[in-house]
Amino acid sequence: MFRAFALAFCLIATSVAASPQWLNYPDPRIPRTADGKPDLTARAPKLPDGTPDFSGIWRAPTGKYLENLGADGIEIQMQPWAERLYKERQENNQKDRPGGRCLPHSVTDFDGHFTPRKIIQQPGLIVMLFESYHSYRQIFTDGRQLPQEREPAWFGYSIGKWDGDTLVVDTAGVSESTWLDDIGHPHSDALHIVERFRRPDFGHMQLVVTIDDPKAYKKPWTARIGWELMPDTDLLDWVCENEKDFLRLKGN
Amino acid sequence: MTRKLLAVSVLCAALLLSAVPLVAHHSFAAEYDNNKPIKFTGKVTKVEWLNPHIYVYLDVTDSGKTTNYAVEGGAPNGLFRQGWRKDTLKIGDSISVEGFLAKDGSNTVNARTWLLPDGTKVFAGNTEDGGPASRNQ
Repeated sequence: MFRAFALAFCLIATSVAASPQWLNYPDPRIPRTADGKPDLTARAPKLPDGTPDFSGIWRAPTGKYLENLGADGIEIQMQPWAERLYKERQENNQKDRPGGRCLPHSVTDFDGHFTPRKIIQQPGLIVMLFESYHSYRQIFTDGRQLPQEREPAWFGYSIGKWDGDTLVVDTAGVSESTWLDDIGHPHSDALHIVERFRRPDFGHMQLVVTIDDPKAYKKPWTARIGWELMPDTDLLDWVCENEKDFLRLKGN
Repeated sequence: MTRKLLAVSVLCAALLLSAVPLVAHHSFAAEYDNNKPIKFTGKVTKVEWLNPHIYVYLDVTDSGKTTNYAVEGGAPNGLFRQGWRKDTLKIGDSISVEGFLAKDGSNTVNARTWLLPDGTKVFAGNTEDGGPASRNQ
């Protein structure tokens, strides 16, 4: 009884306190269990034309793959220059990680990130809005090919195709200034990322990321990342306005 | 009353909110020295509740000499989602901090634990910045 009272009180208290930023804002599109909680194991939604609907706010449950995309002991065979750079980054305490200068993450480190991202889906286009660093990514699903001529881009160029219920996203043209993860796995201008997204139920996203970069790695390698839905909430503002760390970052 | 509200917030956070990792945009090891742990109690002189990290400035008096420390915490959004607010700590509040000093010799500290005089923990959460885990989490 006390727990029920405490739960009700806290829900009201926190929703009132947080209402200006929609931190707790019930979404009528979310299926509910009998007690009113989001039913995260309900059937994954589809658009009227049968296309899987990935809309929602998602995050990785931990920062494990943000820290190290090869966290599960995946065999990663680097080319000699990549291995040297990777070791140098370890020895320098990752002080040159782009985030240290408040530059945003890129494709794979955002894939592994535990901060929220909103997926907005419309015919021909999927947009990801990342709360951290106030960043976004566009995945074109309108049948276009990757551009032949391309300037290096922080998030590269992404096209997506449906393979049954799985969205297969090809990305190329990612700037070499970005790191694959916080620990410092490097990449070259030949980087080709394949992400396979599948929503097995309402509250979960499976994400299989393959790194294919023959200039940096002797063979492709694959990480398996899961996302969880963040129901009944929204993104918060995030601008790097009070950066004080960069000048204090030191290597060895 | 403020203390009661704070206690309610803490209770709510503990009851309802799972430990969401706090963001660190930089590497812990590049900035802080895990061989320089520090623990002190001071009075809040300023709170900066801003991205990418909160900073709380504390006047710490030791043997008659007062030093102002800049204490770095988590990211405001992660803290906000866990129930903490920009006015959780107010100017003049007393707070005990355990953390690690910066490598550059400045009075800058990365806090792993913040405790009110009654032992209530504030700004609790996991930091996934590669730094030493808080002793109490």
